[in-house]
Amino acid sequence: MSAATQTAMLPATIVQRPDGRVGQLSQFYGLYTRELVRTFRNPFVIVITLVQPFMWLAFFGGIFSTLPTSELDSFLLHAPPGTGYVAFLLPGVLSTGMLSIGMFGAMSTIQDKRFGFMKRILITPTSKATVYLSKALGSATRGLVQIPVMVAAALAFGVDLRGSPLGWAAAIVGLVLLGFGFSALFLAITAGSTDWQTPGVVANFITMPLMFASGAMFPTTIYPGWMKAIAEVNPVGYSADLARSVITYGQFTGSCVTDLGVLALFAALMMGIGTVLASKYLKVE
Amino acid sequence: MTANGLAISAKGLTKQYGKLVAVDHVDLSVPHGTIFGLLGPNGAGKTTIIKLLTGLSDITEGTATVAGYDVRRDPMHVKQRVGWVAAEVILDDDLSGWENLWLQAKLQDLTDWKERANQLLRYFELTDRRKDKVGAYSTGMRKKMEIALALLHQPEVIFMDEPTIGLDANVRRMLWELITGVNRQFGVTVLLTSHYIEEADYLCDHVAIIDRGKFVATGTPSELKSRVREDYIELETSEGVTSAKLEAVLGVTNVRQQGSAWVLRVTSAEEVLPRLFQALRTDGIRRINVEKPSLESVFIDITGKKIDQAGSDVQDYRKFYVNMRRARR
Repeated sequence: MSAATQTAMLPATIVQRPDGRVGQLSQFYGLYTRELVRTFRNPFVIVITLVQPFMWLAFFGGIFSTLPTSELDSFLLHAPPGTGYVAFLLPGVLSTGMLSIGMFGAMSTIQDKRFGFMKRILITPTSKATVYLSKALGSATRGLVQIPVMVAAALAFGVDLRGSPLGWAAAIVGLVLLGFGFSALFLAITAGSTDWQTPGVVANFITMPLMFASGAMFPTTIYPGWMKAIAEVNPVGYSADLARSVITYGQFTGSCVTDLGVLALFAALMMGIGTVLASKYLKVE
Repeated sequence: MTANGLAISAKGLTKQYGKLVAVDHVDLSVPHGTIFGLLGPNGAGKTTIIKLLTGLSDITEGTATVAGYDVRRDPMHVKQRVGWVAAEVILDDDLSGWENLWLQAKLQDLTDWKERANQLLRYFELTDRRKDKVGAYSTGMRKKMEIALALLHQPEVIFMDEPTIGLDANVRRMLWELITGVNRQFGVTVLLTSHYIEEADYLCDHVAIIDRGKFVATGTPSELKSRVREDYIELETSEGVTSAKLEAVLGVTNVRQQGSAWVLRVTSAEEVLPRLFQALRTDGIRRINVEKPSLESVFIDITGKKIDQAGSDVQDYRKFYVNMRRARR
């Protein structure tokens, strides 16, 4: 090796600030760039970020775009009888609250994968399906914590809760089925992922449309046709209807039984599909 | 106990990830009650072999039997009979030692486990700390806890992946004693991976040297070492010596100059040294160094390269360790 090439291989002189001070701009720039690079390397995150504002416009704006103001007026001021909007909203909020509880199960699953605990589990005679089902039921159970909190808040707002004990039991069973179904869906979607960001993104993606395209926040009678169609098959609406009949109106009717049936079907379907997917795609690490 | 007396046997074991062949037609037989070492550099396929033998990863080709059960056909029965100790110590830090044992008992579907758990806690001197969260344990205690978990269901075979990586010399020594103790007292077959030559030499009854997914040599440590029969003598003298003078000594087969020193390959250091002292008595020997065959020299002999720059590796693992523990808090 000649002297010239040896010199060329030496690292260039490091240029430091002539005044000898230590700045922070370069560090800030480096860290900021890292944040962006990490975020935008996950195509899922980009797509959802771009789609999110349009979904707000479509789903939230869709409710009010065709609505005569007089109807909104009469709903907000006069319905439901005597108890006001909070009484109408409570069952809806309890139901929509069940939408994103799967997020915590998904996050704990990703944590288990990242720290190798999934290996510790799967090296024992434990099947992937068992891991999946225990996480889904764990999420759904955790979701129940919000029920007493929300009910206490409603009471504080002066809402008159009327349901019979049997009705309440039915409403809670409905919420558990809904929560279990969505946890199962959530964990199936994230079974193959090891990225911390994924559960949050999935939560955003499924929560918003299903929250508005249901009878949870507003009566579906004021919705445009396409949103009514989504609400027809949206399990959140069935859970909200069931809880509303029982808690707000104090009636346990035939439609409540239908609601429970639909929710049970939803939970069973999600559990079945999710178990198959997780058995196949649940990542070990 | 299986009929053929083997705790682990594999034929043509192969794992392919896309185009990469991580494990390439490996044959393996490990007798009951022995300690078997997979020795090789990082990325040689050691961990992949453990994953294949425990059913964590699907076998692409070949067969494997562990504790009497076919890994492909009957992975659940294999999993009931094996324990596993991870390189990076995997415990649930939010749970206490006892709770970790409880969870392990549940995952292994054990009923009468408490007496054995208490015995293991006593054996590993963890009884006093059993109610503390394992996140607060020292590194050595965490490692012991992990081995206790692996032993809880009385496995026939324990897999230990780089059991002492990232540990300081004292903890490593302690762990060596524990591993031999566990092997003898609990009658467990141990398959461990390592890239520390001394570790494999000290612990293992049998060693397979693995490089790029293939077994390049197998045998007992002394069998392997006897493959490289010649010793090396390195010496420096104060007076100038010619290579011809060194070559003339009986038993010297090769002479090479390395800086100011001479490196001699000799048939046997014990026989050649007296002759060498005699030949060089007027040349003033300043320094002399004898190197006997080691697993390291076997590896160099077979693959033409050193097994690893283990030092730099350890530092990386230390960092990894620290980060893992921080992330968990």
